[in-house]
Amino acid sequence: MSWNMTENLASDKFTLVREPIVIEDVLRFVRADQDGAVVTFDGFVRNESHGRRTEYLDYEAYESMAIGKMHEIGEQLHQKYAIHRIAIVHRLGRLQIGETSVFIAVSAPHRAAAFDACRYAIDTLKRTVPIWKKEYFADGAVWADGELPPVPPSSKTAS
Amino acid sequence: MPTALPMLSVKVLFFGRIRELTGVSEEMSEVPANAKLSDLFALYVGRYPKLAEFRSSLVASRNQEFASWDATLAPGDEIAFLPPVSGG
Repeated sequence: MSWNMTENLASDKFTLVREPIVIEDVLRFVRADQDGAVVTFDGFVRNESHGRRTEYLDYEAYESMAIGKMHEIGEQLHQKYAIHRIAIVHRLGRLQIGETSVFIAVSAPHRAAAFDACRYAIDTLKRTVPIWKKEYFADGAVWADGELPPVPPSSKTAS
Repeated sequence: MPTALPMLSVKVLFFGRIRELTGVSEEMSEVPANAKLSDLFALYVGRYPKLAEFRSSLVASRNQEFASWDATLAPGDEIAFLPPVSGG
């Protein structure tokens, strides 16, 4: 079966929010009668980092570019996997321990594609979407170690 | 003496630890018309010498796409200097 990509992309959801993420709403958004599975990733704030007790995190983003990069992930998912809908919601601002920072849901007729697509989505988000978190501890704060996104090769031609 | 090149103006954004280091989130900057991304960065290193330490752990974007350091700037470009990303 082939899916209409334009229609699928139009019905995906890529958002940055400053309020708590309502997981039930995201699940309802991706589910449809033609699907047989939804796979989700719930990323939330851990109470420690490298052995230090975390108090809270602050997230910031290059918002317009982050939304663009999330859309690119969606396009890649539709090309690679037989999935129906994707929702990626990332929260910004101050988050307390246990609060969801990113929630990803992928629906598909069959589970294998949904599992693979969800894993690809979170792995790619962590490498390419311009979002940063600062970790606050009782005795200070640090920007989390991150990943340097891949950059296009130099425009100079080797000669 | 060579004729001075015309200048062009670009928007520059800083994020994360680089924003904290410079104290700048967003500003307009003037560069010579043939300037590359690396020239713009060098201009900021002149203003904030500690930025030099971050050169190898930064990527730049041009108009919201990751760009190589030798990308040539155009009037009105939106340039950002981005530390390693840590979303999720």
